Amino acid sequence: MDPQRRGLLAAFGASALLTLFPAAAGAAGRAGAAADTRLLLVLLRGGLDGLHWLPPYADPAYARLRAAAAVEEPIRIDGLFGLHPAMTRTAAMYRAGQALPVVAIAPPYRARSHFDAQDCLENGTARPGGARDGWLGRCVGALPAGESGLAVAAVMPLALRGNARASNWWPPLPKAVDPQLLQLLRPLYAADPRLDETFERSTRFAEQARAGAGVFDLAEAMRVAGERMGVDGGPRIGFVEDSGWDSHRNQAPQLARKLAELDRGLAAARDGFGAAWSRTVVAVVTEFGRTAQINGTGGTDHGTGAMALLCGGAVRGGRIAGDWPGLGPNQLNEGRDLRTTTDLRALFKALAGEHLGVPERVLETGLFPDSRAIAPLSGWRAT
Amino acid sequence: MSASKATAANRFGLGARPGELERSGDGREILLAQLARSPAHSEFQGLPSSAATMLLEHKQLAASREARAQRKSAAGAMSADAAPAMAAQAAGAEPAADSGRDGPADRRSAALRRELREQQSREYAARFSHAAHTDAPFVERLVQFWSNHFAVSVDKGDTRLYAAPMEREAIRPHVLGRFQDMLLAVETHPAMLRYLDNAISIGDDSAVAQRAAQLRRERRGLNENLAREILELHTLGVDGGYRQDDVIELARAITGWSALNSNEAQDYGDRAPGSGFVFRARTHEPGARRVLGRDYAEGGVEQGRAVLADLARHPSTARHLSFKLARHFVADQPPKALVERMAQAYLREAGDLRAMYRAMVESDAAWSADACKFKTPNDFVISALRAGELTVDARALTGLLSRLGQPVFTPRSPAGFADTAADWSSPDGLWKRIQAAQMLAARVDGRGAAPYPRALAVLGESAVQGDFAIGLRRAGSASEGHALLFASPAFQWRA
Repeated sequence: MDPQRRGLLAAFGASALLTLFPAAAGAAGRAGAAADTRLLLVLLRGGLDGLHWLPPYADPAYARLRAAAAVEEPIRIDGLFGLHPAMTRTAAMYRAGQALPVVAIAPPYRARSHFDAQDCLENGTARPGGARDGWLGRCVGALPAGESGLAVAAVMPLALRGNARASNWWPPLPKAVDPQLLQLLRPLYAADPRLDETFERSTRFAEQARAGAGVFDLAEAMRVAGERMGVDGGPRIGFVEDSGWDSHRNQAPQLARKLAELDRGLAAARDGFGAAWSRTVVAVVTEFGRTAQINGTGGTDHGTGAMALLCGGAVRGGRIAGDWPGLGPNQLNEGRDLRTTTDLRALFKALAGEHLGVPERVLETGLFPDSRAIAPLSGWRAT
Repeated sequence: MSASKATAANRFGLGARPGELERSGDGREILLAQLARSPAHSEFQGLPSSAATMLLEHKQLAASREARAQRKSAAGAMSADAAPAMAAQAAGAEPAADSGRDGPADRRSAALRRELREQQSREYAARFSHAAHTDAPFVERLVQFWSNHFAVSVDKGDTRLYAAPMEREAIRPHVLGRFQDMLLAVETHPAMLRYLDNAISIGDDSAVAQRAAQLRRERRGLNENLAREILELHTLGVDGGYRQDDVIELARAITGWSALNSNEAQDYGDRAPGSGFVFRARTHEPGARRVLGRDYAEGGVEQGRAVLADLARHPSTARHLSFKLARHFVADQPPKALVERMAQAYLREAGDLRAMYRAMVESDAAWSADACKFKTPNDFVISALRAGELTVDARALTGLLSRLGQPVFTPRSPAGFADTAADWSSPDGLWKRIQAAQMLAARVDGRGAAPYPRALAVLGESAVQGDFAIGLRRAGSASEGHALLFASPAFQWRA
């Protein structure tokens, strides 16, 4: 370790609570919320190990907890944190000031069920089942008429349920539908109050056929989201999801593959957004973190504090954000995993409010009920 | 409450085949009769046991290793420049295209891989075929319900070959029996043991761990993945009253529950025991365990079994299972009274699943007109096969279900596929059903029943009225009429 880095480490101290967000600057940023901004939420289901994709390589506790499973040769983007070596494109974005990792952030849910944690993250409340629609869906409802949301997913995700202006898309079956059949079906669906609107909206997919060549993976889904959202009048809110992030055993090769896919996806999204990238935030989140210590099978088990990542031209990146609680024995949650210092809703509120222009009162009542005590994050946005 | 045959076939079954609604008895009697006998399983005859498949899998892996070693030594003989490529191969990367893949070991490996793939296709074909032809469709729905309750996904590599066999070996035999037996069969099946990592979990104070410590070798340890999902998903439910300590204690109790390894499979050869479960005493965590406030003395494999037996009869389990079952058959938000009634029947009859099913079928709530479920993509496709008397093309169906968002044995998580209308009734999902309806309708034999009488035969008269009846009668071709039937709203709902 070179002396400079050692100095930095000493300055951080093993127990210091590191505040990297500037003191809340109030809601002044709201006025700057440009119209026509774009938000793409990327949900990595399964609980991505934050200590693996954003390893605090310079923290001696990290090396001790992870031992042989510590990330080798991380890309050193900061005196304490590095990016996983598979994330070269993301590192370039970071250096260009367009990527902002957020440490120790998670939904308010503190138990260890994937499904409850995802439910909570998507429904926007403090508990699973706290709402039957999603905060992104309600967010679409809060946008001016004519603006819409799009999930690139086979099944409409909970996050984007709740508003008729949100839809989902997935590569279609090859066969075109006979217009005559649609004519016959129209009156039947019109008479079904539960499906009439769904049917009318479904028929619009006819024009959106896309050759389903190759594997439709996370990177491809992010490219499609960018392409759809980047055009004039495109959806302002997007959602992409991916599974396979649950890493109970031998996680190094698994995550190397998955993180490379995410890295390609971020670059593909940027290319897809094109000129709209400067008005875009891509937010990568996961439902919780994992145990700090490597488990008996080269993996990690369900934990609490996770990491998030904001990318895009609308992001003031090139820094690490969030309060770092440390990895010392007394600093870990229940002695086993990273403590959560930021409620994910603080990030979501900032994105919905500052970036998309949803009024504060709607944030607190409609989007994130009972979140008044949680101040939106500030200082994350490029001006 | 009247129990119509159409409701029995569509809400509780897999959709009627023409002729099915003409059976004797009312809907309730038809379902109860299905619970009273074991359905014929001729489609599944001759499929290999999981243990036999494991033997084949291990042979394939050995051949593949041998082929890699041969290529490596061949490359080493050529020149020292090949070193980087060799390093890549050793790390498991694909070898370069020009390094040759036609040695005897390569050919053996490829042939074994093909055999395993064909075996898996036969499993899927048998499953589709049984669903399309069974005369006990209520029982088949129950099998698929439990299969999804105990979800394993083939997108995890070492589970790939065992998901369908798990349904066949661990779920079908117990679907009309005791939950405790099904639970034990599933949690000791290699598909589940591998999917949720228990096969490699090792007690921290086990003989193997102590030996590794003596030799100062790096060792594996406890993995709590399966134990957590047993409590959260398979038995008590997430609010069922367990804590992190219970997860760890259960994980310790089931250390040693594993699947055959390569050498063992070869030793057994054709005599391999059915599922390939083995208990490894040397990786089992010794000592007494305490789960949910109850103590379990050390007893090797019996210790974990005793915990599972108690979990199976726990009131939280009864409610969790009843809720999921009622949600699956009756309504996305099932009536509380119905769930409670089912749970009580289950507890009263010592965890007999049939008691729980009967309580559901006998209640009026299950037959009410406003109880309504939206078909999953799988059930939409199966009901079209049945209504159209289509032959089963397993490859085509597997591809179709992927596009419809419900790939075979590939749920996104151990929680299984979702089970409410909101999960499946998106515009994109409906559009793909309409496309699929056309594709399936094109395969219906035009010499059979015409669309209108076929619709009457599978949905019942009350569902085929007005514009729907007119459209079916006036359709420009049999294919168009059948597409209208399959794509209609009446065909998407389980009325």
